[in-house]
Amino acid sequence: MTTNRLAPLLHHAVRLTILFGLTAYIAYLSLTGQILLFIAPQLVKYVDLAAICMALFMIGQLYLLVRSFREPVPSCACGAADGHSHGDDHGHSHEPTGGPVKNGLVYGLFLLPVLLGLLMPNEAFAGSLAHNKGMNLGVFTGGGMPADLARLDGGEDPDLKTLFRSDTYNRDYAKLGMLLYKQDKIVMSDEWFIEKLQAMNTFVDNFQGKTLQITGFVYREDGLPANQLIIGRMAMTHCIADISPYGIIAEADNAASFANDTWVTITGTLSKTTSHEMPVIKLMIQSTEPASAPSIPYIYPDWDFAKKLK
Amino acid sequence: MQNTATASRPRRGSGNWMALFSIVFIIGLYLLSTHSPGTILSNPKLQIVKMMFISVIIEALPFILIGVIVSALLEVFVSEQTIKRLIPRNPLLGIVAASFIGIIFPICECGMVPAIRRLIHKGVPLYAATTFLVVGPILNPIVFWSTFTAFRNKPEIVWSRMGLAFAAAIVIGLIVHRFVKTDQLKSAASHDHGHGLGHDHAHHDHNHLHDDHNRHHGHAHHHPKPNRAMGKLVDVMSHSIGEFFSMGKYLMIGALLVGLLQAFVTRGTLEALGHGPAGSGAIMMGLGFLLSLCSTSDAFVAQSFTTTFAPGALVAFMVLGPMLNLKGLLMMSAVFKTRFVLLYGALVAVIVYAGTWALGQFIL
Repeated sequence: MTTNRLAPLLHHAVRLTILFGLTAYIAYLSLTGQILLFIAPQLVKYVDLAAICMALFMIGQLYLLVRSFREPVPSCACGAADGHSHGDDHGHSHEPTGGPVKNGLVYGLFLLPVLLGLLMPNEAFAGSLAHNKGMNLGVFTGGGMPADLARLDGGEDPDLKTLFRSDTYNRDYAKLGMLLYKQDKIVMSDEWFIEKLQAMNTFVDNFQGKTLQITGFVYREDGLPANQLIIGRMAMTHCIADISPYGIIAEADNAASFANDTWVTITGTLSKTTSHEMPVIKLMIQSTEPASAPSIPYIYPDWDFAKKLK
Repeated sequence: MQNTATASRPRRGSGNWMALFSIVFIIGLYLLSTHSPGTILSNPKLQIVKMMFISVIIEALPFILIGVIVSALLEVFVSEQTIKRLIPRNPLLGIVAASFIGIIFPICECGMVPAIRRLIHKGVPLYAATTFLVVGPILNPIVFWSTFTAFRNKPEIVWSRMGLAFAAAIVIGLIVHRFVKTDQLKSAASHDHGHGLGHDHAHHDHNHLHDDHNRHHGHAHHHPKPNRAMGKLVDVMSHSIGEFFSMGKYLMIGALLVGLLQAFVTRGTLEALGHGPAGSGAIMMGLGFLLSLCSTSDAFVAQSFTTTFAPGALVAFMVLGPMLNLKGLLMMSAVFKTRFVLLYGALVAVIVYAGTWALGQFIL
């Protein structure tokens, strides 16, 4: 009978440990800001709520543990009191079913994320994973407005309107394109990285000869000529399982001297090329300087981009 | 399966073997990768697996918890009679109603699966529950908005996704209504932790007859000391925790597999496999199944494939993925009998494939 009494206690204690481990690990990630290496900022509040919820579960689990200490033979309705039998064979003991090995494995699975998290340093993915994903040049589709754009005069000039002829579907990119067109130097900052890229690729011809500055990691795709490379960023929607790389093809005679995965800031003038039979912008490199990778290197698609344009 | 026939070997669930496999795999990876312990931990592939694994868990956690708590609340507070009153008598009406619940109850499959089991136990017909499972993760405002954001220039893709999901749900609901008459829930035996620790009566098949009995007497006398409200709270809590552990196990395994796939399978390999319209649809469906992305984030991943795949294949990816994916299938196998899970998978795959073919012919 001793095992009969000990087993449920052990179960409750292990569950309490797991809940504590998961809660503490998430709290740690959230407090240190490292959580942004795993999920996008708009999800952080939900994960914080989840951690609070698991902390409540911990209290509940503690209560269950204490109760099974006090009442070694649990006074539970799912048992003999009701008279209806379930699991005739396991009678109605609160003895955990299954051997200790299997239980250990299942519980071990819950501790695995915490153990891996503690044993291995958290790392941001920039270039190295782009190779698994295939670079996206942002050809097709399409916080407030970035400051550099908000400063511009929104007034619509008829000449520009003919340049950025739009239909219902790419109207937003046409609007953004007009704003970018008015800039002396287009800077690819974190905000609206994808949106700017897509606006320029929607109206490739309008941006010929414009000056552009971009910071990102160096990446090469199979079949890229020796004098070209891609300057890219990783975009995250929810979590790193869905990150995809976005970038601009850059060209220079000394392109081979840029090592993959290094971060650089490149300034140059825009030209054009084709990728997968679609016209895309290309950056003719004029000057480069080494850059350091941001601690959170991800960029995020802006869900309210069209609304902020107005 | 053996465990459905005899309850004497309760822990023979496939999940346990999967757990064993996963851990062995990790240990194998650990031992094989390099030689000294320090370098093993900094192995780049293992690093990707680890980051993906934790990331998927953290992302899914809030939704699993919602599902688990809803499920516990249903168990403790909603009676079978209430559910029966709410379900339309006419099966077709029931199916249509179930497919619209997603609109007011926007939740992805991580949260849905735990709640589904409880709903079926409470008397929701299997066909209605299946319909909800198929369509819920797609036909809701959040997913509509994220798809629209990703495919701003191509609204026909957004409408195709929503329309195909709705059509598939109706067809699958009707097929299940017509052909599946027996109880498809996994029997009590294979729910390892449910009973005992969680007072989880509902896990037991033969419980149906006793449900009323339970509700009236059961909870009243298992907590002699605390008052009724306190008793309910403890019930909700212990059901939630029990469910969290029985569902979470599958989330962990699913997340681990997704991490391994992301680390070892490159997009180039997949793209090389799928050329031509027939092949590319199948490849994107396979990818949707394997990646197990959340339905609100997969649209941006689909968008990143626009240069390599036809719109039909992208719709296939975004419709199949949320309905049928590795992580979800593992969680479903905790609830349903294996045969039903296989039937569900086959139905979804065939209907989505046929549907995207038709869309490709006429619309996209």
